[in-house]
Amino acid sequence: MTRSHAVQAVLLIVALALPGWAGPYWVHVGAIAWYYALLASSWALLAGYAGQFSFAHVAFAALGGYASALLTLQLGFPPVPGIVAGVVLAMVAGALIGWLVLRLSGPYLALFTLALSEIFRLILVAEQQLTRGSLGLRVPGLFAGESDSPYYYLGLGLLVAALLLMAGLLRTRVGLFLRAIREDEGAARAAGVNTTLYKILVFVVTSGLAGLAGTYYGPFIGILTPGIVILPEMGLVIAMAVIGGIESLPGAAVGAVLVYVLSELTREYGQWRFVLLGLALILVQRFAQNGLFAVLERPLVRPAAMEAERGRG
Amino acid sequence: MAEAEFFAAEGLSKHFGGISAVDDLSISLARGELVGLIGPNGSGKTTTINMVAGALRPDRGAIRLCGVTMTGSAAHVFARSGVARTFQVPRLFRRMTVLENLIVPALSNPAARRPEAERRAGEVLSFLRLEHLTRSLARALSGGQQKLLELGRALMLRPTLLLLDEPFAGVHPQLLAQIMEHISSLNADGHTIIVVDHNIDAIRSLVRRTVVMAQGRKIADGLSENVLRDPAVIRAYTGARDAH
Repeated sequence: MTRSHAVQAVLLIVALALPGWAGPYWVHVGAIAWYYALLASSWALLAGYAGQFSFAHVAFAALGGYASALLTLQLGFPPVPGIVAGVVLAMVAGALIGWLVLRLSGPYLALFTLALSEIFRLILVAEQQLTRGSLGLRVPGLFAGESDSPYYYLGLGLLVAALLLMAGLLRTRVGLFLRAIREDEGAARAAGVNTTLYKILVFVVTSGLAGLAGTYYGPFIGILTPGIVILPEMGLVIAMAVIGGIESLPGAAVGAVLVYVLSELTREYGQWRFVLLGLALILVQRFAQNGLFAVLERPLVRPAAMEAERGRG
Repeated sequence: MAEAEFFAAEGLSKHFGGISAVDDLSISLARGELVGLIGPNGSGKTTTINMVAGALRPDRGAIRLCGVTMTGSAAHVFARSGVARTFQVPRLFRRMTVLENLIVPALSNPAARRPEAERRAGEVLSFLRLEHLTRSLARALSGGQQKLLELGRALMLRPTLLLLDEPFAGVHPQLLAQIMEHISSLNADGHTIIVVDHNIDAIRSLVRRTVVMAQGRKIADGLSENVLRDPAVIRAYTGARDAH
């Protein structure tokens, strides 16, 4: 077990213990924070590792959430098969989008996915008979009772499982290939990497996880609105990942929790909260480009590569 | 040459908009040949390399490797079939370590395993005298070291055809000698190699056969000493120089 793992284990223990001593308000905040942590960490895999700077990530969350809710409400699916179907649908849509954007990168990919996301949001608004539009779709809960604790632990479990899944994937050659694609796609192809396959794969995996986040968020909040697909939501997920560390999956998750908790603590400042968020983003970009999690870890772990680079410097 | 045809490009053409980059180019190579490909700027050398490596699909023509038609296959299929390349300006995985840069091509073969890939990377690094940089980030390497690492990355594919795009461009004379030595030794080991470069002296001393391109067409192909004295070749180079 490395020191980095020790940091993560301590954070997990704190998270597990929190409902025991914090009030219901913070349990509620924590349960929402897991939704953002799931989104930010999976987006970090897509953008930070594979270099696919997509703006459609929250649209996949909405797709998963709406699909599982509609399958439950309209076709009478039990909750778990509904959730599985929502995730699978998000993965299929992810494969399709991954294939559509194969030849796009950088700002073109960002703009294309932004447009797709906006189209999807407008469909959610317009298809009132199915989605109830801006009024929002009421989603039945997963657990009986008033307590948010079951959702809190479900969200935490899903987050940990997703982080383990992604970390496992990154430990295989797939992780190496995704980073090679991020660095130089043409060179990766010349090195024998089937870039088409791995780009689609990373869209499938991360879209599935975003979809999973949506299927968790809907029943917890009890209502889904097209508002979860708006650009500021995507911007928030990006800011969370960047502040935590876009090239570290646990870092992005920690960034999401930190940003969400701070935004709750500063709620009384209204819109000024977002000014603070912007400032935090600028400061992190200027002074800690690898994110706050790396700063937290730095005194504990020193990657060999970082040392070697410093040795040359 | 037909009995030993290892690689053949026949009638390759490539247009970009209205501009003809390569026009009806044919080259065939015997196994183990070391060939120089030269020509003034804009003569279509890099476009040719891109087509031969599968990075660009030719508008017309065919590419065969060991009798198998490769035309239209994806670049990674070319690479896995043994066609490896370097780029004019090194295109490394800059934020990955030297070792990681090398094991990516090795592991692109699904049957390959990481310990074996790392062992092979060690061999390649020792051949290139870069062992001391194994754990450095690629972006921390000097320009010359980056050229060598890119050559190493190509070697990790265990190539049968090696395409080197301007390996001598912008390198220190001492490193130039080292790169020439590496190319000769790889050729002696049986690698078939095409070297694209502007350094006529280096090409003359390295390769027996030189192909010359001008304005997208092949204008000469033969023994280096004869080709480099050919008036058409001299005119192509001088004309290009006059044009600037």
